[in-house]
Amino acid sequence: MSLPEFKLLRPRTTEEAVRHLREHTSNVRVLAGGTDLIPSMRQKLFEPGHVLDLRGITAMRGIRPQADGGAEIGALTTLREIERSDFLRQHYPVLAEAAATVASPVLRNMGTIGGNICLDTRCLWYNQSLAWRKGCGFCIKKDGDLCHVAPGGMKCWAVFSGDTPPALLCLNAEIEIVSAGGTRRVALRDFYTGLGDNYRKLQPNELVTRIFLPAEAAGYCGVYRKLRVRGSIDYPLAGVAVVIKRSNGHVADARIGITAVNPAPLLVKEARDLLVGKAVDEALAEAVGDVAAKTAKPLTTSALTPEYRREMIRVFTKRAVLAAAAN
Amino acid sequence: MNDFSIIGKPIAMIDAAEKTTGAGKYTDDLSVPGMLIGKILHSPYPHARIKRIDTNRAEKYDGVVAVVVGKDAPNPYGILPVGHDEHALALDKVRYVGDNVACVVAVSESIAEKALELIDIEYEVLPAYFDPEESMKAQSDLIHDSKPQNVEKDYHHVFGDPDKGFAEADQIAEARFIANEVTHAAMEPHSTLASFELDPHTGKPGRLTVWSSTQVPYYLQHKLSLVLEMPMSQTRVIKPLVGGGFGGKSEVIPLEIIAAVAARKAKAPVKITYTREEVFWAHRGRPRTIIDLKTGVTSDGRITAVKARVVQDGGAYCSYGVVTILYSGALLGALYDIPNIQYDGYRVLTNKPACGAMRGHGTVNVRFAFESQLDELAAKIGMDPAKIRQSNLLQTPCITVNGLRVQSYGLPECIEKTVERSGWKARKGKLPKGRGLGIACSHYVSGAANSIIRSDMPHSTVNIKIDRDGGVVVYTGASEIGQGSDTMTAQIAAEVLGGSLARVRVIAADTDLTPIDIGSYSSRVTFMAGNATLRAATEVKKLIAAAAARKMGCEIEELIFRDDAIFRKGGTESGASESAQTSRGPDGRGRPSPHGSTESDRLTQSHGAELPTVSGHVEGQILRGSLQQKRKEEGPKNSMTFEEAVVAAIDFHGALTGTGSYAPPPEARGGKHKGAGVGPSPAYSYSAQVAEVSVDEETGEVTVHKVWAAHDCGRALNPVSVEGQIIGSVWMGMGQALTEEMVWKDGMLMNAGLLEYRSPSSVESPAVEPIIVESIDPEGPFGAKECSEGSLAATIPAIANAIFDAVGVRLHESPFTPERVLAALRAKKNAKALNLTEGVDPTSPIRFREHGGSLCFNGKGPERHALDPSRRETPSVAGSAD
Repeated sequence: MSLPEFKLLRPRTTEEAVRHLREHTSNVRVLAGGTDLIPSMRQKLFEPGHVLDLRGITAMRGIRPQADGGAEIGALTTLREIERSDFLRQHYPVLAEAAATVASPVLRNMGTIGGNICLDTRCLWYNQSLAWRKGCGFCIKKDGDLCHVAPGGMKCWAVFSGDTPPALLCLNAEIEIVSAGGTRRVALRDFYTGLGDNYRKLQPNELVTRIFLPAEAAGYCGVYRKLRVRGSIDYPLAGVAVVIKRSNGHVADARIGITAVNPAPLLVKEARDLLVGKAVDEALAEAVGDVAAKTAKPLTTSALTPEYRREMIRVFTKRAVLAAAAN
Repeated sequence: MNDFSIIGKPIAMIDAAEKTTGAGKYTDDLSVPGMLIGKILHSPYPHARIKRIDTNRAEKYDGVVAVVVGKDAPNPYGILPVGHDEHALALDKVRYVGDNVACVVAVSESIAEKALELIDIEYEVLPAYFDPEESMKAQSDLIHDSKPQNVEKDYHHVFGDPDKGFAEADQIAEARFIANEVTHAAMEPHSTLASFELDPHTGKPGRLTVWSSTQVPYYLQHKLSLVLEMPMSQTRVIKPLVGGGFGGKSEVIPLEIIAAVAARKAKAPVKITYTREEVFWAHRGRPRTIIDLKTGVTSDGRITAVKARVVQDGGAYCSYGVVTILYSGALLGALYDIPNIQYDGYRVLTNKPACGAMRGHGTVNVRFAFESQLDELAAKIGMDPAKIRQSNLLQTPCITVNGLRVQSYGLPECIEKTVERSGWKARKGKLPKGRGLGIACSHYVSGAANSIIRSDMPHSTVNIKIDRDGGVVVYTGASEIGQGSDTMTAQIAAEVLGGSLARVRVIAADTDLTPIDIGSYSSRVTFMAGNATLRAATEVKKLIAAAAARKMGCEIEELIFRDDAIFRKGGTESGASESAQTSRGPDGRGRPSPHGSTESDRLTQSHGAELPTVSGHVEGQILRGSLQQKRKEEGPKNSMTFEEAVVAAIDFHGALTGTGSYAPPPEARGGKHKGAGVGPSPAYSYSAQVAEVSVDEETGEVTVHKVWAAHDCGRALNPVSVEGQIIGSVWMGMGQALTEEMVWKDGMLMNAGLLEYRSPSSVESPAVEPIIVESIDPEGPFGAKECSEGSLAATIPAIANAIFDAVGVRLHESPFTPERVLAALRAKKNAKALNLTEGVDPTSPIRFREHGGSLCFNGKGPERHALDPSRRETPSVAGSAD
């Protein structure tokens, strides 16, 4: 499978990059690590006239602890750097752990945190070659007007399969979005739409440049648990991030994020109320697992059966809560 | 007897350096001047009639040289003489999604891909069959008109008296087992480069040369000549380095024929390399197999009878199917002593890619069922699972009830050793909750005793040429595919001739240069090509020995060939050439040795690229040296260097060549019943394995911690290579046991890529302790048998049995994915059931739902959405949306 023809743009600064984006708005794809974009381009999921290679923008790299105790992470920071960062491992362990589970070491050396946040949603009927999709019939997400996962409906259920976003949601992370028109800052939880096709609120002329981790989220005990068939390489088939802050043996604050079971990574809304003020035990952890499983709506977008993946959200949430509380 | 200098030593593969440094060339690395790229258009429908193909627009696309379609090469072919049901490109019908329809030849891959979109085809969609048991009910719209009920072939064998056997049994177990479809996933995708030489007289394409990633160059040569209507002598097949085959390259794969047809039409060399998706469509893997198995045992553990009904989902073409279904039955025998066997096998056609031969061809899925059921029976009669296997050993040598001749039989030792090393007796049943041990056995042929094309020709022939430079060149048709066949050949030649490994050069698998060898499949190469090499080397050794004996004034029987020299037994070293005239002493094994180098010295020598120093008399100039040598000779000597002996032999005999061939002996070729030709082998390998696993009872995830794998390979010619093959077999078996499965929906392969197909990664790979058992086969070369396939089949049931030991659930369907394991655990505990079929098409057959196979169902068929662009009048052009 050959790559479609395109013109490679290699800006050195963010300003230059957004200028390119403004110029080629509807005909450009952004490349950060390329681990997701390149295979998708070979499958002809994207055939942009221009590819905007951000890797020359050094200002978009690096983890910068802030004076207030929070941190700022450049969108081009590799997942490997996040996984290895002593600062993050100490203050935001859930993020370092989630980053460490992404794909395989080789891919983490290339893949970036910004790319993981913007990761295209995935579906067994979508991440296929052009010949395959022609054989099967095109779907809503690309070139078609039906959904193979939920026939009859007009909603796309392609599943969000990033590992770090549930952790970032738990940390109340915000992201900086830059365009030629200016800069805006949004909470990550407001970034995703919940739709499989138009899955993020990012205009074609916009770029995610930085991630902010608030100071008040630092020091939470955090755990990420991921369901996958193999111990390496695989995307999550279900993922759970848990952060817990304790005082006097009781939960003072907690958040739970799930991934790979919905078109967006989601916070489990009821989890905080269930946990806060209580000492974590098996029964409580199970109750939290139940609400997490209710938030999950897995469908046949991925390997393993939906029912099993929902069940694993329950089990993994229970285990993650117990593990985070034991830290 | 055991005093070998190269055989039995751990030796690096002779092609290891070029492979590890990247210097080695695989087919896709090759390029010839003027070479074009071919791309194949595949069918989007599982079953359809081609009403019209219009290639006009594609032909006019800038950069396209030719477009090839079915009528450019209409002759049918197939790997089996009874299964000539394939065409280079579809003539009138397509039979699976991915079937080959047309090929565009262009100056670049991207141009060829774009031109594919411009080929306009009108199809008439036909009802398709995806499930073998449904397919067997077909009355109309048959996949091949000549195969009623879509049954490719069925066999019904009865050996002994099964009814009487079951009547004698104290316990009988009966169950349905399903092994889902798996594929080889060799690292190198298939690739073929075809180039015609122009005939100098006519200017038309003349001789054809094909470089291809194949396990069977001679079969490819044969099929090319059939399809292209060219004499075989005008077709040369060369096999470059091959990056793994596992059976997936053991027959003629469509691209090999298509590339040649395309090169002829384009009048230019054409290379086609499959994408990974195309590799999955070409497939030829292990079929989904439904096994209804019934076994009876007495209360003291003796098997009284076995009855198996096997249905294989063979895909759309015959491929090796007839052989697969026969192996499934035949290899019920020759492992244990089973007096009564009834076998009903059905190879069924479905609208999916063709299944074929895959490592452990035919035996693996039935072995999973049998060894699982034997475990169940052991539990029923309260016998240790290792003991029940020891209670059913063959008394060898023997001929089994289904006509298989067994001579060497290392199974008892395999079982003993795995039981001992794994601490079976102390640990079985005493591990913590959720952790368990399981045992299983398997066996495999060391080459089929009957070739697929029935004839009396030798299965392997090897030529050896030795010239005055002292170099030994071995010409063998055997195909190195990573399993070590070239190294094995070099080892045997070097051992016989007493030379170092570096002295031997192997020229292999080039139909113009090398004598015929039917290929690298059914684990035949070491046994057959090895024997041929042994014979060729022995023949040429006789010539050298005759000359040397004359020179040394002694009898031929007095000579010893070793360490690049020829010695006279018991002779003193006076007058011997310098290289051999070092200190004397016993060798590593404490036997008297004609010279003093230690075993480790010899190993260094065989590893090194440096040839041993040539005799001082010769000083590197062989021709002049030999004259000087003649002049200087004073009376007979007690030793000669290899070079000196070769020069003498050429002086006496002229050219120094030897040839050897191998055909299995008539008494090993099996019985007389219909289908008796498949299963017989000159020798069988044996394997026993113990797996230690743990099961997470909340998630159903299975972790394999360790596998003890004993394998009887007759003699380990190269122990490190044997261990590698055992470890590889275990690992591949574990993939089928736990993660690998081809997932289908409406004839669409959902996971045609290595990301979603999920072969195990290094993270899941358990510790494997390979245990080599040497039964020294009376007919194998130096006693060797196969070691590459037999171990795989034991791994799957060993893991299944270990899961049973760990958590008490018996899995009847492979792979044992976490959801299947969890569903079984829930069912056992009567806990909240896990509904694996939620979201499954309710019209899908019950059998899929009850086995948790929610991802495999017979849904709405080939009907497409009305607005699907592939159904529109004018096909859309890729990229035109921009």
